[in-house]
Amino acid sequence: VTVKYLLMIYENDELRGSYSETDFAGLIAGDAKFQQEIRESGELVSVEGLADAVHARTVRVRDGVPVVTDGPYLASKEHLASYFVVDCEDLERATELAARYPAAHRNGVEVWPLLTRGGTEM
Amino acid sequence: MVVHRTSRTGRPLRPTSASDTATVRSNDVKYLLMIYMNPTTWESLSEEDRNEVIRGHEEFQRIINESGEMVSTHALAEPAQSATVQVRDGVPAVTDGPYVEAKEYLAGYYLVECNSRERAIELAALVPDARFTAMEVRPIIHSAGAQV
Repeated sequence: VTVKYLLMIYENDELRGSYSETDFAGLIAGDAKFQQEIRESGELVSVEGLADAVHARTVRVRDGVPVVTDGPYLASKEHLASYFVVDCEDLERATELAARYPAAHRNGVEVWPLLTRGGTEM
Repeated sequence: MVVHRTSRTGRPLRPTSASDTATVRSNDVKYLLMIYMNPTTWESLSEEDRNEVIRGHEEFQRIINESGEMVSTHALAEPAQSATVQVRDGVPAVTDGPYVEAKEYLAGYYLVECNSRERAIELAALVPDARFTAMEVRPIIHSAGAQV
């Protein structure tokens, strides 16, 4: 039995700005290698990369009226940059995968079990 | 804690030829509709309100399944079950809980594919949680799946 986990990668503009071109190329190569490995192992369900946080909008409905504001919901230096949905053995394996992702070496990777009910993704 | 029903659907492709289904898509863009939850807000809701949220999700899923805008949806386990992994000097350090410290946490998300940002916002406003907390709408710039 496998469980789906969400691996969330947070970005920090300050940190991102500090990367050299070599750092950046290394991150991109590391990401590609990681994707290839987990695709081959059959653990990759999907990966989505998000647009910059400046393109985020927050929607609240109050008394039936939608109120839209610019920017992410959480007031935080960190924002979600991308996420992987993986299907793997257990939390230990999900954690192991998270530790192999390049972002774990710079910022951090958050691991969440997904509740699945009546269906699977993709 | 709300258990958002997950459902599975592939957005129907509109191929121009049967042999080219994987590459022919509309100009639609994917948006992530992120559901944030505040545990205090959720606990303050009446049983009736909570049931309405759950029904609201079912209704929302019906709408986007029928319109073909649904890509996928997932509900996340509670924050206590999350872990943050950081590797320093080659050594993984695992801590319990989410990466970002906040009262609110990501409770689930809908990945939709639609023809404008306005439509994505319109869809977000239909998600019942928008009435109590908020939805965050983010365009997706890169996607990959199990198949290359």
